[in-house]
Amino acid sequence: MPGHPASAAALRGLVRLLVVIGIALMLIPLLMTAYMSLFADGVVTFPPSGYTLSWYGRLAEFPKFGQALGTSLRVAAMATLCSLLIGVPASIALVRYSFPGRSALNVLLLSPLTVPGVVIGLGLYVLMVDIEIRTEFPLIGSDWVLILAHLLITTPWVVRLCVANLVQLDRSIEEAAANLGASPGRVLWSVTLPMMRQGIIAAALFAFIVSFENIEMTLFLISPGMITFPISVLQYLEYRFDPLVASVVVVQTAVIAALLLAIDRYVKLSKVV
Amino acid sequence: MATRRPEGLTASLLIGPATLVVMLSLVLPLALLARYSLNKYDRRTFMIDAFTPENYLRFVTDPFYTGVLWTTFSIAIVTTLLCLILGFPIAYKLARSQTRWKSIGVLLIILPLFIGSTVRALGWMGVLGRGGIIDAAYGALGGSGISLLYTSFAVGIGILSINLPYMILTLQSVIEGIDARLEEAADSLGADPPRRFWHVVLPLALPGIGTGGILVFILAMNAYATPFLLGGARFQMMAPMLYREFAVNNNWPFAAAIAFILMLTTLSLTAVSGLLVQRRYKAQ
Repeated sequence: MPGHPASAAALRGLVRLLVVIGIALMLIPLLMTAYMSLFADGVVTFPPSGYTLSWYGRLAEFPKFGQALGTSLRVAAMATLCSLLIGVPASIALVRYSFPGRSALNVLLLSPLTVPGVVIGLGLYVLMVDIEIRTEFPLIGSDWVLILAHLLITTPWVVRLCVANLVQLDRSIEEAAANLGASPGRVLWSVTLPMMRQGIIAAALFAFIVSFENIEMTLFLISPGMITFPISVLQYLEYRFDPLVASVVVVQTAVIAALLLAIDRYVKLSKVV
Repeated sequence: MATRRPEGLTASLLIGPATLVVMLSLVLPLALLARYSLNKYDRRTFMIDAFTPENYLRFVTDPFYTGVLWTTFSIAIVTTLLCLILGFPIAYKLARSQTRWKSIGVLLIILPLFIGSTVRALGWMGVLGRGGIIDAAYGALGGSGISLLYTSFAVGIGILSINLPYMILTLQSVIEGIDARLEEAADSLGADPPRRFWHVVLPLALPGIGTGGILVFILAMNAYATPFLLGGARFQMMAPMLYREFAVNNNWPFAAAIAFILMLTTLSLTAVSGLLVQRRYKAQ
């Protein structure tokens, strides 16, 4: 029905071209990283002299590999656990209770997501130094400072995901339990929390990934003896660029992708992101 | 109404800890940072208590710093516009697709969101750097060594590839909310595809364009790893500059001032564009 078949065809071609460019932009860096991890040479130059899988056997040679990975996993696990402990109750309060200032608190709890990571990092660092000077208690370089900082960026995700999950749950089941004589605490523990299971699992995995991947904020809070995994990759890349770092990153990406596919089984990712 | 009082108490017990954590580790540090930004830098003791706008004045009067702010702003604007142009067709195709490929497509867009920006930067280093694919191809054609690394092009393309999925997801959810029958009606009334796009789809997708645009603009303004790895020392942006001022020069008061300039620029631009979209939207 359109009047100008020639221009319509040109337009369709243009749109198709834009789609191809967009997909290429998203895929090329990931495919390149995987491709480079197979190069036989110690430096990345095209074309490579051959291909090898041996870099994957030498992951442990990556500087500070064990220490950095250990710190990242420990901090991410603790931050996930703590953010669930404070975030899940907060989301229940936000959805199931009405109280003055509720929408303001909702905004406050999500606000760490809108402040630049470098600003939060610098702010936390100066606060910690300030406390160190006042109390003479060493804080920088301890796990707990990193965990507190990561708590700040994981909690908004837990709240966001659990709120999204809770509003979909049928409230009448909780009301029925209350009518049958269950105390509010019992309703919470035996009805609401079990019903939120999927939302909580998704929130936990999200929190873990967000904490594990963070660079901007963590940068300010690390010390020479304690460094996180993504930052060790960043520091390595500042001076060296070889197939070893590419294979390290490919393994990391594969683990994250597997976690995400696991989340998708519980909660459709497209519904919550 | 006898339960009203305990209910308020339960609610505050439930939400209290999370509120406390955010107040203590976000609001308090920002307040302290604001105070530090008014202090003076000293070569020997690093910082002297003061109450001076010096750090802010230094930023706005030194062409180097205003230049970095301007670079950051231009990169953010250009990548945001490109995100829109490249993201819209993909988002539209995903939103209107009915096959089972759709959920796979959406999943493929979501996965990169959680893959660190260093991974993407590393991939681009292999494409654009010395000894990279483009360099090798150029050499094979008879040219002699080019490196596109440490240019605005490298940083722009790096940020674009990271931000595109955010834009696509936002647009996709909004386009899905647009009734497909409206487009069919426009079609049956004789509107050709460009007209359908300009007069039906685009106006209705405007709120999504606003939200997505603001999101990727903020991400680009605050980007750290991409400009750090792909821009290097030659191409500077705000977040890496802040870190250098803090870690290399040890000038905390100035770093604090940069932090507030970055945050306030981003927030005010976000607020203005939010208002513009809202007004446009209401006028429709």
